[in-house]
Amino acid sequence: MAYTELIKNFNRVRAYMRDFYVYGFKSREEYTQKSARSYDDERRRVESWLGEYMQFRQTAEGKNVFLSIDSRAVFHNPLFSAWKAKSFTDGEITLHFVLLDILQSAKAPLSLNEIMEQIDQTLSGFSLPRTFDVSTVRKKLKEYMQEGMIVGEKRGKTLYYQPSAFQQEAAEELLHFFCEVAPCGVIGSFLLDRSNCTKQYFSFKHHYITGTMDSEVLCVLFQAMRQKNSVSMKMAQQKKNAPEPFQIVPLKIMLSVQNGRQYVMAYNAKYKRITSYRLDHIESVQIDEPCPHFDALQAKLQCMLPHMWGVSTQGRSDSRMEHVEFVIRYGKEEGHIPKRLEREKRCGTVTHLDRYTSKFEADVYDASEMIPWIRTFLCRITEIHFSEPQLEEQFREDIRQMYRLYGLEDGEKDDIS
Amino acid sequence: MIFHEWYSAYYRTVREILKAALDHPLRTEEIYGIIEKYAFQESMLYILPALQEQRWQLLYEDGTTPLCSVPPMPYTTLEKRWLASVMLDPRVRLFCDQPMDLGEAEPLFLPEDICVFDRYGDGDDYQNERYQKNFRQILDGVRKKYPLQITMKSRKNTWLKVTVMPEYLEYSPKDDKFRLITSYNPLVSTINLGRIVDCCAAESAGGKLSKRTPRKKCSVVFELTDQRKALERVLLHFAHLEKEAEKIDETHYRITLQYDKDDEAEMIIRILSFGPMVRVISPQSFVEQIKERLYRQKSCEQ
Repeated sequence: MAYTELIKNFNRVRAYMRDFYVYGFKSREEYTQKSARSYDDERRRVESWLGEYMQFRQTAEGKNVFLSIDSRAVFHNPLFSAWKAKSFTDGEITLHFVLLDILQSAKAPLSLNEIMEQIDQTLSGFSLPRTFDVSTVRKKLKEYMQEGMIVGEKRGKTLYYQPSAFQQEAAEELLHFFCEVAPCGVIGSFLLDRSNCTKQYFSFKHHYITGTMDSEVLCVLFQAMRQKNSVSMKMAQQKKNAPEPFQIVPLKIMLSVQNGRQYVMAYNAKYKRITSYRLDHIESVQIDEPCPHFDALQAKLQCMLPHMWGVSTQGRSDSRMEHVEFVIRYGKEEGHIPKRLEREKRCGTVTHLDRYTSKFEADVYDASEMIPWIRTFLCRITEIHFSEPQLEEQFREDIRQMYRLYGLEDGEKDDIS
Repeated sequence: MIFHEWYSAYYRTVREILKAALDHPLRTEEIYGIIEKYAFQESMLYILPALQEQRWQLLYEDGTTPLCSVPPMPYTTLEKRWLASVMLDPRVRLFCDQPMDLGEAEPLFLPEDICVFDRYGDGDDYQNERYQKNFRQILDGVRKKYPLQITMKSRKNTWLKVTVMPEYLEYSPKDDKFRLITSYNPLVSTINLGRIVDCCAAESAGGKLSKRTPRKKCSVVFELTDQRKALERVLLHFAHLEKEAEKIDETHYRITLQYDKDDEAEMIIRILSFGPMVRVISPQSFVEQIKERLYRQKSCEQ
């Protein structure tokens, strides 16, 4: 099939976009999921949509393509473009504009027969007028009605169609803000497109835009949760011998604003556990039947949240709960350090032992999730204890390895070059 | 369904073309201009021929259209449902007193369907009426480009009254705070909205407007050892920055990140959080700061 810049299936570009944006070190040969031609086509498409952010680097292994975006410097998420590249047929676009024009211009609601007549009339000025059969137009009208763009009113046995009466418009500033920060924000960017807004009201710091690529998955999960239904999921990289797709009950969406990852906390009946699934690992999701225990499962998760640092509900040990505590020391001019403990902790307690010493402690399902945060206090940790000895040893060994990496084995100030 | 042609750049572009054609017969150059503005880099190759060859029967050869009205773009149910969810967000009060009436549209999601688990706990107080009033005044200043007189409390708890030209608002999802980015007054180029006590339109900026100081960019280069999924964790964590990743061998990568000079202290602790998986190579001043912290840590253990 000849190349076009539009695509039918979003999953075609989802993985490529992420690879170009997040990783960006792979050469053409390393993209092994699909053929080299497929890679060339997707690269060309992404370049067409996001050309100004596309960069290239020549290496011994070949040419590397990557997207380099400082999300603080761009006012609108550039990755939204991919969602605006859906393909369609010549008939679909013609019918879309003609239908909406006919309904908009009509003084009264129209029946299908009247619409058919007007379509023929509208297109009669072309040298080879396109014709649409009744079933196609009826199907299209039904689709538009389901999506709330038009409304139907039955009089006797005949259905009459008219445009939706909904006239309100959301403010540009509101849309600009929420399309960047709210889940499924790309929907807000569709609304913003209507006003052709190019104004720069907001910029965003620590802004992770990768999650955009998983909006369709997220949207289906939300719909399932609102209906208290289970879903069937297919993972992008399914484990060997794993049944596919498998069923879960989605309970809550967990969002990280420190790495942009999005998860669904879900009950997996096969393992009788509530566990997390990363949205970017989910290839497809379909809504299944209602789950009679939905409320009880959600209440159970709610009780678990105060003991979750991230999304893990099970540590490496056999213990149900793992304990961690550490003490930090700070100087007279470092009042922001105990404040950091207070504002950055997600669970657990902070005790101020004296004016210059504070202690943090928590009982969590998986203490290993806390380690990156604890390391941010390096240079002031005076005591640290994990209930899992292996974890504590690994923490201490990692620090020793850091000393070695930076040539501080002897710990002498003179060692610092 | 989110991925739908209704929302596509092509439909939007064709709508703009038809809007213009209803006003006057379009010349090819004008159509080019609209495609360039609203569609993708290569869209010219597809949209114009489709219209000219009358595969899309929407535009006559003379640049007029058989349509009678500007093509409407009614809100879809999905869009209304998303907006209904947004209306439940406490931050919506920063923009309006009354949430939009979305008819029977059920929210796509409720606040309790979501948990942002690593947001800092001392975010701005969006329920505070004074905060809401200041926010709206500032947003109006940004929209209409007029100077503002701001009374605020500094970090050292002293009172400050300044006149600034508001450029835009910056929001950090991690800090859950808004900051005003200004020009005119180089001493206060950034103001935390949480510190603002009062804000009103200034009669005039007075004096000569100075341009906004551009952000000072720095770069840091580190070597990454891909153990314990460090490659993915690091690249996702720093995904919001301009960066370049280079593979050295099967387990080692060289990463270059661009960051704002003002955020250096934050960058140091973020890099430290990855432990021995990351070793900073340059600049030397950055390496020294990491060493200094590790040296002080070593002293803590003695």
